[in-house]
Amino acid sequence: MSDWYRDFANSGFGTTITKQLGLPRPGVLRRYEPGGPLLPGTAVIGSAGEGRLRDTVSAVLKDAGVTVQSPVTADGASDGGKPAAVILDATGLSTPGDLTAAHDFLAPALKRLRPSGRVILLADPPSDAASPAQAAARQALDGLVRSIGKELREGSTANLLYVPAGAEGALASPLRFFLSGRSAYVDGQVVTLSAATLPAAEDDEKPLAGKVAVVTGAARGIGAAIAKVMARDGAHVVAVDVPASGQSLAEVANEIGGTAFQLDITADDAPQRLVEHLRERHSGGGQGCVDIVVHNAGITRDKLLVNMDAARWNSVMAVNLQAQLDITQALLDADGVLNDDARIVCVSSQSGIAGNRGQTNYAASKAGVIGMVRAWAPVFAERRATINAVAPGFIVTEMTAKMPLGTREVGSRLNSLQQGGLPVDVAETIAWLSQPGSGGVNGQTVRVCGQSLLGA
Amino acid sequence: MAAAKPESKVLETAPNLGLLYAKATATAFGRGGDLPGTRLARHGVVVDPGHFSAYARVCRLPLGDVLPATYPHMLTFPLQMALMSDRSFPLAMPGLVHARNRITVLRPIRTDEPLDLEVWAENFAQHRSGAAVDLRATVSSGGTEVWRSTSTYLARGATAPDGAPEADIQVPVGELERVAATWRIPDDAGRRYAKVSGDVNPIHLSGLTAKAFGFKRAIAHGMWVKARVLGALAGRLPDALTVDVAFRKPLLLPSTVALATAAVGADGWDVAVRNSKGGTEHLVGTIRPL
Amino acid sequence: MASNTKPTTRKAAIVGGNRIPFARSNSKYAQASNQDMLTATLDGLVARFGLQGKVLGEVVAGAVLKHSRDFNLTRESVLGSKLSATTPAYDVQQACGTGLEAAILVANKIALGQIESGIAGGVDTTSDAPLAVNDDLRRVLISLNNAKTMQDRLRALGGFRPGMLAPEIPRNAEPRTGLAMGDHAAITAKEWEIGREEQDELTVRSHHNLAAAYDRGFFDDLLTPYLGLSRDQNLRPDSSIEKLAKLNPVFGKGEGATMTAGNSTPLSDGASAVLLASDEWAEAQGLPVLAHFVDGQTAAVDYVHGGEGLLMAPVYAMPVMLARNGLTLQDFDFYEIHEAFASTVLATMKAWEDPAFCKEKLGLDAPLGSIDRSKLNVNGSSLAAGHPFAATGGRIVASLAKMLHEAGPGKRGLISICAAGGQGVVAILES
Repeated sequence: MSDWYRDFANSGFGTTITKQLGLPRPGVLRRYEPGGPLLPGTAVIGSAGEGRLRDTVSAVLKDAGVTVQSPVTADGASDGGKPAAVILDATGLSTPGDLTAAHDFLAPALKRLRPSGRVILLADPPSDAASPAQAAARQALDGLVRSIGKELREGSTANLLYVPAGAEGALASPLRFFLSGRSAYVDGQVVTLSAATLPAAEDDEKPLAGKVAVVTGAARGIGAAIAKVMARDGAHVVAVDVPASGQSLAEVANEIGGTAFQLDITADDAPQRLVEHLRERHSGGGQGCVDIVVHNAGITRDKLLVNMDAARWNSVMAVNLQAQLDITQALLDADGVLNDDARIVCVSSQSGIAGNRGQTNYAASKAGVIGMVRAWAPVFAERRATINAVAPGFIVTEMTAKMPLGTREVGSRLNSLQQGGLPVDVAETIAWLSQPGSGGVNGQTVRVCGQSLLGA
Repeated sequence: MAAAKPESKVLETAPNLGLLYAKATATAFGRGGDLPGTRLARHGVVVDPGHFSAYARVCRLPLGDVLPATYPHMLTFPLQMALMSDRSFPLAMPGLVHARNRITVLRPIRTDEPLDLEVWAENFAQHRSGAAVDLRATVSSGGTEVWRSTSTYLARGATAPDGAPEADIQVPVGELERVAATWRIPDDAGRRYAKVSGDVNPIHLSGLTAKAFGFKRAIAHGMWVKARVLGALAGRLPDALTVDVAFRKPLLLPSTVALATAAVGADGWDVAVRNSKGGTEHLVGTIRPL
Repeated sequence: MASNTKPTTRKAAIVGGNRIPFARSNSKYAQASNQDMLTATLDGLVARFGLQGKVLGEVVAGAVLKHSRDFNLTRESVLGSKLSATTPAYDVQQACGTGLEAAILVANKIALGQIESGIAGGVDTTSDAPLAVNDDLRRVLISLNNAKTMQDRLRALGGFRPGMLAPEIPRNAEPRTGLAMGDHAAITAKEWEIGREEQDELTVRSHHNLAAAYDRGFFDDLLTPYLGLSRDQNLRPDSSIEKLAKLNPVFGKGEGATMTAGNSTPLSDGASAVLLASDEWAEAQGLPVLAHFVDGQTAAVDYVHGGEGLLMAPVYAMPVMLARNGLTLQDFDFYEIHEAFASTVLATMKAWEDPAFCKEKLGLDAPLGSIDRSKLNVNGSSLAAGHPFAATGGRIVASLAKMLHEAGPGKRGLISICAAGGQGVVAILES
């Protein structure tokens, strides 16, 4: 599915036209390709106040082969040309006055930022602040990063990571994600890390090697993309979908060397059958049977609330929320099935955050998912596991391809990146949250929406 | 065979059956008298593989190295025709009905054996509807008889000489209730067999020509039906055998018929071919090991 | 009947199976060839068990109605599938016994240690059936092709007649008897005095059992949808005696005719495959063992001249196999008797119960006895599912293996499949 408008806007003639008419100029997003560099250029690191993360960040960049250049000066001079990433360590903030340094560092640097550049702000969570002034300064970054996201052009993104004291060790994986092409459509997000015990460094190319991943709704669309990315990153994927979708499910499984498991996740015995299947096929080695579970399966049954029958309401709730709850609980209850440091990723939706006319059932179920992961996070943390949600925005799929052109075009442009995301963008985010190194991200909901205007 | 057997007239090639039919029809009238003592023979006849395979195909007989029991009739029949079409033969050929055929295979005959053939007529007999005559044939290989047959023809309305014996055209069989096979016989079955056998009797060729001889439609060759029965029992027949069949009501083309079989003794069979709908009997017969 | 003379070998494990839903003739799969369906079925099996790129011991399958171009049907299907291209394959054909015979072949090779894993299957289409050129035209064309000179060619062409353009259509009739299989079954039904009502009852039960099996998700891991079909097209969950009673008989003649389009299997299209392996291979691959293939037996009857019913061969195969395994007909927890026709199933059971028949025809001192009908075809069979000839064996083996697995260890299941040509295949599975 090509974005004809983006392609046009990036052509020679299209560039002239769109500039003169003041039309949106969506950039071509930098997406992850195995074997490619983490960052296609240099990075610049700045501080606001006396930060404590500079060394950690430098180590991550060095490890990834990224050259760190000197900060760009106010007159735009720089020793390394245009940076591909601008990282601000704002862990030293004490008062709003310290934010001046942030301005002084960011303004000239962003001016020279390359297309598909990355702006990452690092700070302590406001909730941990020692004073109202410090909390205000930290919280101010939230507004700052969201605004930067809206000002950036040409596929660049800005995101904020809150790194509480003790969680420094958990920074590597999120930092790499937000620098890389994997986060192409993740923009304007605020993710709060937590302290975590992490395994030794994983294979950059195959971070999920040796892992068993269950992906529901894997027969097509976003689910199929998740399965493919998981497999690309080394996981053995158990692709799950309803029996009626078995033919495409088998095609997905065969393409990625995974296995197809036909299951109606809303059936009463579905959790038990999944548990039995995992025990039968994937036990051994003294470990649990499954490392990653992606609750992706979802349905829509749109109708204005006043016209919505119980069947529409109930079926959406059953698939989108209740099944996630039941299956997760069954996996937690079953001895030796869920690995201790398991990763659960639940697919929520922009509708669950912003609401959507005609989708009361859908939005309710997807908002419920956000509440569910937040509530379960501490339980998972106890066993070194995590549970997170991903909320896709306007993602170009077979489903959206059937929308009327006008609706589709408007829908796809209502975000800072001025284009729709791709299923792979959702998949990359989920695969990142599934990595062993992502143990410091727990109970979070990460939007994959290009910083959508809706519910922002 | 009688010791005082008359000399045979030896033919170099097989007679042309079409010409013989023409001759027999042209000379049909004014025949009479006793059977001629003529014997016709051919020596060193070798089976043409092309003809044999065409015959096997049209009769649904397995194609192999051994001749099916009915095949030597393909070789002897033209000689019998030559005998019957000759003016000296007392019965007119048009109107002759093949009523019974008895074949004895003394030992299996290989397809590549040079064969000596001899045919003659005998047993001028009387029948309630006319007269009957036996056309005999014998086939030898290396001086030993390996095959013999008797074809009994009925001439309705004809008269046998005084004191002639009673014709025997019945072949008694036991109960035959179980249908072993159903055959759909197409309307070109007569033409197909005529092409291979050379038996171009018009009653087999088309409805029109058959009507000229008083049949509603073309009728199947009796010897073809007999061959098909043997084909249906292929693999379950003794090496040396006598297969004796009576041809009953004509098998009008096209038809659907049923073959009924019953095992008799170790290697024997009783058979019947009947119309699937009305049950009209077309052929009954016995197969017995020697 | 020798007893306990089986050499000590290992038993092949049934890991699982896959089939596509069976379609009615000239419907959903009208455009699919045997190779299309078999390849899709193999790919579904590959996906279910993660066999992508794996080299298996062999794949054995076949079709009853086969185009001449499909001479290497199974191998071609393997090459088109996600299995490794170095997996060998061969075709078998034993009419409706093809699928089960293929399973016996694979199981035997595993039992002998010749292979560690294999797939047995079958496929048939009555929609994309092979129409042959008229026999006469074929001969003309062959001689034309062989002709070297223009003169020879003209002579060959001289043999052409317009009537030769009519194609040869394969008929569901026994070549030797010219009777449709249904007509044969009708003769047997009459002989054994099988009533219309008991046939209709059996049919209704088949539909209801199959529908219930679908509803409880029994087929979720036995079947992969194909071309928009996710259930057997012939299935009528609302089937009833009253509805079936309205149908007119289509086989047999006159007053005593009892066999209708309802209590006979319809022409259908479909494919099935079963994964068999040694226990060690299954374990190494992390795959389950649903059941073991204990034994199989094939028999044939002389339905042409011998006076036995065309579809009665399983009746003869059964006592031989039971004796060899020291079992009685009652020693089983599940019975899968292929429902070619409802009357066939009933005649088969009646024959086993008949003392005179068992003594005279089977040479037994006592009849084999009756079967607990509540254990018969409990998840439906061919009357409801349909019967793509060569695919039925694989359907039954995989389903029965799963039933045995669900029932727990030490359970036994019996399979009985009748086939054209007066043949029958029976087998024992055990969990």
